[in-house]
Amino acid sequence: MNIEEYISSGILESYVLDELPPEERREVESMSEKHPEIKRELEKIELSIEKLAFSTAISPDAAIKEAVLKAVDNKQPPMQITHDKRESGWLKYAVAASVTIALVTSYLAFDYYGKWRNTESELSTLIAQNQQVAQDYNVVNQRLDQIENDLKVINNPAYQRVTLNATENAAGALAHVYWNKTSEEVYLSIQNLKELSESQQYQLWAIIDGKPVDAGVFDLENGLLKMKNIAGAAAFAVTIEPKGGSINPSLETMQVVGNV
Amino acid sequence: MSPGITGVLEQNQIVNLLKQRDKSALAYLYDHYSAAIYGNVLRILGDEDVAKEVLQDAFMKYWDKIDSFDSSKGRLFTWMLNLARNLAIDKLRSKEIKKVQKTDDLADNVYNVESGNLIHQSIDGSGVKELMNNLREEERNILEFVYFKGYTQSEITEETGIPLGTVKTRLRMALKSLRSILRVE
Repeated sequence: MNIEEYISSGILESYVLDELPPEERREVESMSEKHPEIKRELEKIELSIEKLAFSTAISPDAAIKEAVLKAVDNKQPPMQITHDKRESGWLKYAVAASVTIALVTSYLAFDYYGKWRNTESELSTLIAQNQQVAQDYNVVNQRLDQIENDLKVINNPAYQRVTLNATENAAGALAHVYWNKTSEEVYLSIQNLKELSESQQYQLWAIIDGKPVDAGVFDLENGLLKMKNIAGAAAFAVTIEPKGGSINPSLETMQVVGNV
Repeated sequence: MSPGITGVLEQNQIVNLLKQRDKSALAYLYDHYSAAIYGNVLRILGDEDVAKEVLQDAFMKYWDKIDSFDSSKGRLFTWMLNLARNLAIDKLRSKEIKKVQKTDDLADNVYNVESGNLIHQSIDGSGVKELMNNLREEERNILEFVYFKGYTQSEITEETGIPLGTVKTRLRMALKSLRSILRVE
């Protein structure tokens, strides 16, 4: 049987309200033993009714308590006579002591339960804060790694720095290319380029033997951007192209250019 | 410390003490639970004298029948409440006051006992009426029938013509809504 359907049929409510015939009672009990979710649901229903009873409670006449305790006294079967008077005296104290201990421990159990609940909620707040801090730490750490790598490139004498200055199209634009002639690696550092629309992207070109060669597309980002490897460039230039880049540069959109 | 929630440990302790015929456990039971049970019994019966009688009978039964309580099948309070409710419902039938009461306007009857002597008001200090007003009307009606009037679900079907399946679902929805109102976890 589908557990969800079983629960939503309302049979558990009928069980808790003692409305089921014995056969169905046993069925619910065996289902509850087999399926923890049914057991949990039963407990919740019991607690709902319990809370309903407590929030609609009416204090009865105090005389009833006296009457109940008195009636119990009268019904109390005569204490079984123990073999020995000393033992029964001792027993009386032992019982009294164990009752006291039981009552005190139940109070303490309550009290500690409350404290435990508070502590638990504080703990979950702290865990959440801790996770946030750990996330922030990771972000910072990645940023630091990137900066360290960038520094290695910038400080490495094998990399030649090529300054790309603004063309007439883009006053104030500036970028640098770090190019390792031996390993042919190319990095780009953007100092100042304008924001582009969603449909556009920047593209870096290397001029080799007078012809533009694609060195990769890029978006505006901090730090060094790894571009395509280039050999034998005489100059670098950046143009604005449709998103994804072009095969041939749109020279009229050239933003920055610089000779090696 | 709320007397409304009993930890498993404590429930077992009370039960064990009762089984050992410890009168102080019965007094403890009375101090903690009599108001919650009396509130229900009084609303079902609508008569203070009969309700007192039933409450006293119920506590005698808790004392006499504690050996039949099985903690693996539910909470002590559920057992106590059902025992008292069944006594109250039997009383209604025997006195044939049910018929009179049934034809009365439900809402009036349910709330009119809520006069002076409430010690346990609902959690936020609001009354039963406000508590019930948090429910949708059809949920409220079913809960009034079942809890405050002691109807079985099939009796509601006979009385109102609402199909039994619908009564069951509405009761379930009503108790689910109460969970969030009364903050049952």
